[in-house]
Amino acid sequence: MGVPLRKVFALASRDYVHEWQMSVCFVLALAAVLGPMLVLFGLKFGIVGAMIDQLIEDPGNREIRPVSSGRYDRSWLESVRRRPDVSFLVPRTRSIAATIELSSEDSSRHVRVELIPSDQGDPMLSPRGDRPEGVTRIVLSRSAAEKLQVAAGDTLDGSLARQYRGQKERVHLPLTVAAVAPARAFARDGAFVSVNLLEALEDFRDGRAVPRMGWSGDRENSIRTYPSFRLYARSIYDVAALRDAFANLGVDVHTHAAEIELVQRMNRNLTAIYWIIAVIGLFGFSLSLGASLWANVDRKRKELSVLRLVGFRTMDIAWFPMVQALYTAILGWALAVGLYLLVAGVINQMMASQLGQGQQVCQLLPHHYGIALALTCAAAVIAAGLAGLRSAHIEPSASLRDL
Amino acid sequence: MSTNNSSQAHPRGALVYYVRDVVKTRESEGVAFRLKVPSLQIAMGEKIALVGESGCGKSTLLDILAFILKPSSVGAFRFRPERDGDPLDMDAYWKAGRLNQLGDLRKRYLGYVMQTGGLLPYLTVRENMDLCRNVLGLAQDGTIEHLAEQLGIAKHLNKLPEALSTGERQRVAIGRALAHRPSIVIADEPTASLDPYAAQKIMAHFMELVEELNITVILASHAWRHIKELGLRRLHHRTFRSEDRNLTETIVSG
Ligand SMILES: Nc1ncnc2c1ncn2[C@@H]1O[C@H](COP(=O)(O)OP(=O)(O)OP(=O)(O)O)[C@@H](O)[C@H]1O
Ligand SMILES: [Mg+2]
Repeated sequence: MGVPLRKVFALASRDYVHEWQMSVCFVLALAAVLGPMLVLFGLKFGIVGAMIDQLIEDPGNREIRPVSSGRYDRSWLESVRRRPDVSFLVPRTRSIAATIELSSEDSSRHVRVELIPSDQGDPMLSPRGDRPEGVTRIVLSRSAAEKLQVAAGDTLDGSLARQYRGQKERVHLPLTVAAVAPARAFARDGAFVSVNLLEALEDFRDGRAVPRMGWSGDRENSIRTYPSFRLYARSIYDVAALRDAFANLGVDVHTHAAEIELVQRMNRNLTAIYWIIAVIGLFGFSLSLGASLWANVDRKRKELSVLRLVGFRTMDIAWFPMVQALYTAILGWALAVGLYLLVAGVINQMMASQLGQGQQVCQLLPHHYGIALALTCAAAVIAAGLAGLRSAHIEPSASLRDL
Repeated sequence: MSTNNSSQAHPRGALVYYVRDVVKTRESEGVAFRLKVPSLQIAMGEKIALVGESGCGKSTLLDILAFILKPSSVGAFRFRPERDGDPLDMDAYWKAGRLNQLGDLRKRYLGYVMQTGGLLPYLTVRENMDLCRNVLGLAQDGTIEHLAEQLGIAKHLNKLPEALSTGERQRVAIGRALAHRPSIVIADEPTASLDPYAAQKIMAHFMELVEELNITVILASHAWRHIKELGLRRLHHRTFRSEDRNLTETIVSG
């Protein structure tokens, strides 16, 4: 037969509003702790987020390249490609053989380009553009396309020469520009071509016959091996594990794992530092709110014992500091969020010129606000719990007359 | 030191309070005070006055009767708020530490007027007077307005207590103690902070109201003169001081 919670709430609220100066002080004190903490976290989240975004955005960071050349056969490469953490793998032919001289009708220049093996799903090529296909369709790097003054759909003449049985031989092959790769895909003059084409060119250079292209030469039927490969991990987070897997297989690889780990470690360290600050801040706030609520119980001893006199139960009384602390928590949080939005807006505006479109230095996700509210309420409830326990032990007769 | 008014027989009938051999000892800094109640019986509807000098233990007794102060030792302490209900053993409640049940009894059956104040500063006069009714879940039925009219504070109903004079606040406190129609009202020097004229006027109002509602009244006062005219039964009490003046003992019975 306690007093309905609704009425306890109403009374505690009236008290909170009546003592609005006091309440405003509590709310300000909380916002003063929480606001800077939100800004700090927003900066951490925004900056580290932007760094991670940059890492993810550039597929080059997912590349894994063998340091020295080896002898990899098709079946071994196939088994690596089937790993779930590998998103793209093509074999490379010998780099000495992987060049070709290109010329176009519009430009008198002959441009020697490096050939990069490619295939469906090449992460360096734009997902919408055309792929290199067969032995004729190739994707040019931006700089090669500019030098040759060609665009997608244009035709090119490719030519290469070899020293065969003491004589210099040159062959020509017609090529079509399937697409021009984005600038960041390859900085030098180059072309993304199918593995088939590269194999044909290598065979020709080695003096072997390529019947498919009508090139004559020796007929050797050795099993083809590749000195290297182009491999991209599924995500930047798989790079380190893949590197270790290759190390176990005895393949030394070059990766961006160190840079990725640096960012990840920085993220972890900053998060740890942030949480230390946040815990100290919230603990301090909790302590100061607890102390003031505790003192409040003393200040309001008489009022609380009047409530006891008219029959409020122990629990009803304990709700008083609880309700008031929650008000402080919610209002303080709202004020802190307001402060944060203001400061974050200013910071982002200041940094706008140094950042890409849509990038923000200071940024929070909706659930971050929720977590902040939950933590603040928890701190307030703990603080109020102690005060509530104390207020519940008020003995009415001792307190009624001490005015 | 004994005072005694024209002795009258105990009005027997349904007893609200039955108290035997209740002792409360209070001590601080080596100075002790002891209240002894060998026998006290208060019948339903009785109007009781406890008159004595300051420090003789009036508040102590009233607090025990209002279940807000735990007696040190008890022979018997029974409380029967309903005429045809069973008497409740208050000693058992105290011993079992059932403070919430004591609170429930206060809420339902008692009204308490303090010497000063006791109003909640954040509630208006109307809400303060309505506090006991509100926690009991009683509906607004014009009782508050009627009471305020009788106590002469109708025009202050929407003010906060801080905007009232001390005498007006006392009237609000009296109104609150009566508003939920308790069976017993305990008033601890309700007019001590007022001038004699105002005190007399307020007490007359108070007695009128409790008479009208047939409420049992237990009143403490240090001045017998104007209490006399209100027709209350006075409790006998004697106060002794030990030779070294370190122990004061008051014995109350009636
Ligand atoms: N909390 C306490 N601790 C120790 N002694 C107390 C306490 N409260 C009161 N006393 C003592 O008990 C005695 C009786 O106090 P009480 O308040 O009952 O007196 P009173 O008759 O109501 O006096 P007054 O007319 O001034 O209100 C006093 O001598 C006082 O010193
Ligand atoms: Mg007193």
